[in-house]
Parts: sequence; structure tokens; C-alpha cells
Amino acid sequence: MKKLFSLSLIMCLMITALAACGGQDNATKGKNGADTAGSDKKTETTDTGSAKDDGPSGKLVFLTNRTDMIGKEYDDYKKRFEEKYPNVDLQFEAITDYDKNAKIRISSGQYPDVLFVPTIPNADLPKYFEPLDDIQFSGDLYFKDAKVLDGKMYGVSSGASTVGIVYNKKAFEKAGITEMPKTYDEFLALCEKLKNAGIVPLASNFKDKWPLDTWVYDVPSIISGKTDHEMKRAETDTPYTMDNEYGKSWSILRELQQKGYLEKDVNSTNWEQSKKDIAQGKMAMYLLGNWVINQVIDNGAASEDIGFFPFPADNSGQYKAPLNPDFFYAVNKNGNVKAAKAFIQWMVEDSGYEDFAGFIPVLKNKEPKLPQLAEFNNYKPQFLEAVFGDDTATAIQNKAQIDQQAMVQEFVLSKDPQKVLDKYDAAWAKAKKSLGK
Amino acid sequence: MLSHLSFRKQKTIVMILFIIMPLLLLLTFAYYPALELIRLSFTNWDGLSPDKQWIGWENYREVFSNPEIFGVFKHNLAYFVVGIVQNILAIYFAVLLNSKLKGKMFFRLLLFLPYILNGVAVAYLFGYVFDTTQGSLNTLLGALGLPSETSWLGSESFVNYTLASIGLWRFMGFNMVVYLAALQSIPKDIYEAAAIDGASGWQSFTRITLPNIYQIIELNLFLTVTGALEVFDIPFVLTHGGPAGASETFVMKILETAFQFNNYGLASAMSVVLLVIVIAVLGVQRYFLNRGRA
Repeated sequence: MKKLFSLSLIMCLMITALAACGGQDNATKGKNGADTAGSDKKTETTDTGSAKDDGPSGKLVFLTNRTDMIGKEYDDYKKRFEEKYPNVDLQFEAITDYDKNAKIRISSGQYPDVLFVPTIPNADLPKYFEPLDDIQFSGDLYFKDAKVLDGKMYGVSSGASTVGIVYNKKAFEKAGITEMPKTYDEFLALCEKLKNAGIVPLASNFKDKWPLDTWVYDVPSIISGKTDHEMKRAETDTPYTMDNEYGKSWSILRELQQKGYLEKDVNSTNWEQSKKDIAQGKMAMYLLGNWVINQVIDNGAASEDIGFFPFPADNSGQYKAPLNPDFFYAVNKNGNVKAAKAFIQWMVEDSGYEDFAGFIPVLKNKEPKLPQLAEFNNYKPQFLEAVFGDDTATAIQNKAQIDQQAMVQEFVLSKDPQKVLDKYDAAWAKAKKSLGK
Repeated sequence: MLSHLSFRKQKTIVMILFIIMPLLLLLTFAYYPALELIRLSFTNWDGLSPDKQWIGWENYREVFSNPEIFGVFKHNLAYFVVGIVQNILAIYFAVLLNSKLKGKMFFRLLLFLPYILNGVAVAYLFGYVFDTTQGSLNTLLGALGLPSETSWLGSESFVNYTLASIGLWRFMGFNMVVYLAALQSIPKDIYEAAAIDGASGWQSFTRITLPNIYQIIELNLFLTVTGALEVFDIPFVLTHGGPAGASETFVMKILETAFQFNNYGLASAMSVVLLVIVIAVLGVQRYFLNRGRA
């Protein structure tokens, strides 16, 4: 018996030891992979330098966040891109937790030719990236001045998205809703009808935090009609007040929660499950970006059952909708620049990626293929294009260690929301002062 | 090749060769990063820019003066309390499963299995258990006629205990196996002698078993305390520190400071502080446990 036990103990030890070995193996492999990729790239660029051929050539690596497209759509992209540019060897490297990992790669100095701009200040763009002004796109682009420094553009958006109510038409039918709400009061009435029909009106996914970004960035834009509220915070000591766009938006969420129009327990929500529930009509609506439409369809909803309309945040009767950029393509200034630029142009104009991802194309004259986006446009919303400027507000926010999503949670759950705002305003003012702004 | 050397010299060379590999690995992967961490904690590095400005003790001042940073340690307290319960349970099961019992190998295996599961998988699993509306725990309570609408992960007052109970489920088996190994090293004749002298089961537990596994208790307590201070994966996956930051732990705060607020300097200082706290707690614990012992 004793022997058997010690044997099993040893087995366990071996298993853990082996697991440790495995981890180490992977780590070193990853590192080696990156190293060889780096050195390959160097030789490649010198090659293209000496060759007289004008067309793009050599190895081109694109660091992407879409791990799900590896071996599927990307194989097709590679085939089609290399048909157009036969001298280029296009490769995709997909990583998860993109922003964080991309930053680490950039700070190590070994990063691929094409990548998405992580959250770095615009002032740092020229340190790592190549200006992209000389790419001749077939039309005007959205968000041209987002990643700009000294008049040079360093990033091209991979797609645009808007925010509104994604809803299940079958659930609306079941609750007897025939007309879309034009005002906030009508929206509340609609929620009441859904609730009475036994359907969860709005899936907030409150617990997961990130879905609350809508309430931090987009609803305030819809309410104020301006998209610069995040930057404007830098000008004041009290950016969060009850009667400005932040207090108003979060009060809406608070009201919806208190009237029981959100999930039964907002602290116990499940994102993956909510997609299925929306698809099956157990929950009726999301207030999220249009990117979620395809995900709901993937979870079993028929495309014609899913609709999309602008969120009426006030009683004015005028629909408004923000227009936000997705990740921005950028080119490693020490990489295979020529091929990288050709690739970005191809991705924006020919790849069809924006339709696959459910984006609004960044080329202003290109129509979105998604029927829901067409429906959305029928409501004639006033689009509020995102604006970009200095990063002072972000700097203050980081200094004050303010997590706005957590603030929304606190605001909604607190008995005294004014106190929550006062607390964060105090932290803001202190950080602002210590930065000397 | 080495045959012309004396046996002594050969032995020394072999010894040095053998010791140099682990030492090199240790230095590059443990000590160098640790020293680098300490160096970074005196800078205001943002995680990206090539220049790191030396700002002295500023980060440490921030760690200790900002209640938002240091205050989260009270969330870790729940893990410590549950950790004590976990150790008591582990000793209990170890003693039980060390006695003559039918199918004890099976029970040992059963209790140890959760430890082998990956932490993130465990967290996901318990996400389904603790779900308010569809979770298995509330369904079970409802079937028993008990209140079935408790928001296990949504109540600021006990969310940390909910999360810590997952840790108990996961690590109790490991503690138990360590205790079991210690119990089996106690010579059986001591118990026999005690039984002849008329000692009861409880007496032989407190007078023989406990003193003999003293050092192992110390080890397990150390693991519990460091575990409680460094808990991360379960709240990170299950609650993201919510509701409204009530389950945020110190390590999560470090991660947030570094990767969300781009303040690597401050995050490094927080890591160093955590390291110092662990060492301090260990020292205090050793002092108290060894007091009155030869």
C-alpha cells in the first residue's frame, strides 16, 4: 500500500515536472521563432535593397489579432495576395491579448512588418512606424487624422464600426412590438413590453466589464452629439458630474438596471451564453457595436432575424450614432516597407476583410455588405466620426489609475452615485495637479 | 582526458560542471529578472519608451500612501481565513485516510484530482456553479427548498469568500497529500506504545501526530499565506475584480498598473513590496511557530 502511494506521488511529481518542462519548451521555442523571424527579415530587407526590381518582394509577416482566421480566411488571403504580388511571401502570425503582447514585441525591437498600432501615444509613432501617406487609395478614408504626427499619417484603420441596438426580431414579435422607438421614453416602454413577455430586454454583460465600454465612450457621444468628451476631460478638475454626458449615460444604465430591464443578476452574467440567448430570443437586445451581429448569427440566429437600429438616448427624436475605428494597420519602419504598404492597400481595398468582420469599410465610397448595416442606415442616423487629439486625458487617467468600466459598475451598484463621481473626480483632480496640467 | 588528474581534482571538476548548469539557469531566469525588477521600481518606465527616468523612492511612496493600492490587501484576507480552514480540513482528511479504511486510495485520488486541473479551467467551471440564475449551486439549493437567488459572485460582502472556497476545493487535496506523506513517516511503534499506555485517539493525535508533523504544518501554512497574498487567476477569470472592484487582489492591481495604466515603474515597486511582505510574513510565522521549541 505504502509503495503504491509513494509510486503515485512520484507519478504526480513527474507529471508536474514534465508540465514544467513543456512550458519551458514552448517559451524557448517562441523566442527562437521570433529571433529567426527577426534575422530572416534583416537579410530579406538587404536583399530587396540590392535587387533592382521595383515591385514589392520578400517575406512579409503580418501580426494579427484574429487567431480564428489562421488556416481559414488567411490562407485564402495569402493565395490571392501572392497572385497579385508573386514575389512576396506573405505570412500571418496571430496572437491573443493583442495590445499587451504587441507592446512587448515592439519594446523588444523585434516586431513584424505589418501590425496593428497598440495603445501608444501618437508622439511615439515615428519611433516605430513608417509614414503611410504615399499609399494611393481609391477613395477618401475615414479616420485619416487618427494616427497622425506632424502631418504624417502612420496608421490606416482596418474598418469602422458603429454602436446601436442589436436585437432579435422574433423576440420583438413575441412581445408585440411593431415599431422601433424614436425616443428614450419609447425605448423604456419597449423594455417594459419585453419584460412582461418574459424576455430579458437588454443584455448588459455587466460582470465582464469590457461590454460597459459602450457606456463610457459611445452613449456619452450620442448624448452630447460630440465625440471628443474623453479628451475634453483634460480641461477640467471634475470630468464626471451628474449633469454632464457621463452622469447622464450612466444614469440611463442605472435606471435600466433598477427597473429590471437588464439581466436578473448583473453581477452574474455570461458573455458566451448571452450570445446564444440573444440568438434564441431569450434575451432581446445588445447595446454594442455592429461587430457583434456576426457573432450572434454564428451562435445560431438566422441573419434575417437579427436587426440593428440606433440607440435613442434622449427624447429629441433625432437618431445619432458614433463611428469608431477598429485597429489601425501600421508598418514597421525597419521591416519590408514596400510589400507592407502594398499589403495594407490590398487589405483595405480588395481583401473583403471588412465584410467578413462585419465592419463598415474605411473607404467612404464603399457600401457595407451586411444587411443589418443597411437597415441601420435606413434610420438615417447622424454619424459622429471619432476625433483624435492629444493624450493628456489618458495620461491623467493612467496617473489617477481610473478604470472607467469599474467606475460604471460602482455607479450603477452604489446607493449614492453622486459619491462615486465625487471620489473619482477627487482622484482626477489630484492626478491632474501632480502632472502639472 | 582527465585521467592524468588526481581523483580529488576530477571530483571537483565534475561537481563544478554539474552545479554550473542549474546555477546559470537560476541566475538568468530568476535572479537577473528579480534584480531588473528592483531597478525598474525606481524608474517611471511606461513599458515602451527606451528611456527610463530614475525617480528614486517616488513609486514606493505612492504604494504606501495611496489607499486604493494598499487597501486591496483586505480582499486577500478572505483567502487567508479560508486557507486556515483548508489546512485543518487537509489534516483531518489525511489522518482519516491514513487509517484502515476501505477504498482509501480511491478517496485520496478523488481529493487530490482538483489540484491537477488548470486554474483557468477551474475558474470557468465554477462560473457555471456560481451563476445566479442558471448555476448548479443555486439550482441545488432551490431543490432543497433553500433560498436560491443568492448572487454568489455579486455580493461585495462575501464575493471573496466565494472565490476563496474555490481555492479550498482546488488546493486542499495537495495539502492533504503533503500531510499524508508526513504521517506515514511517523514510526508506528510510537502509537503502539501509547495505546498500551492507554492513550485515547485524540491524545495520540495531539501528543504524537501533531508534534511529528510540525514542520510540515509550517510548510503548508507558508504555502497558504503566500498563496493568499498572490492569488490571481480565479478572480481574474471569474469576476474581473468586480463587482465594482470588491474582489480585486493585489496581483491583479499590479497587472492593471503595468498593462492598463502603462506604469511599469509603479507596478515593479508594488511587486517588490509584495516580495518583502511575503518574506516578512514568513519571518514572523517562523518566529512564532518556533518559539518554545528547541
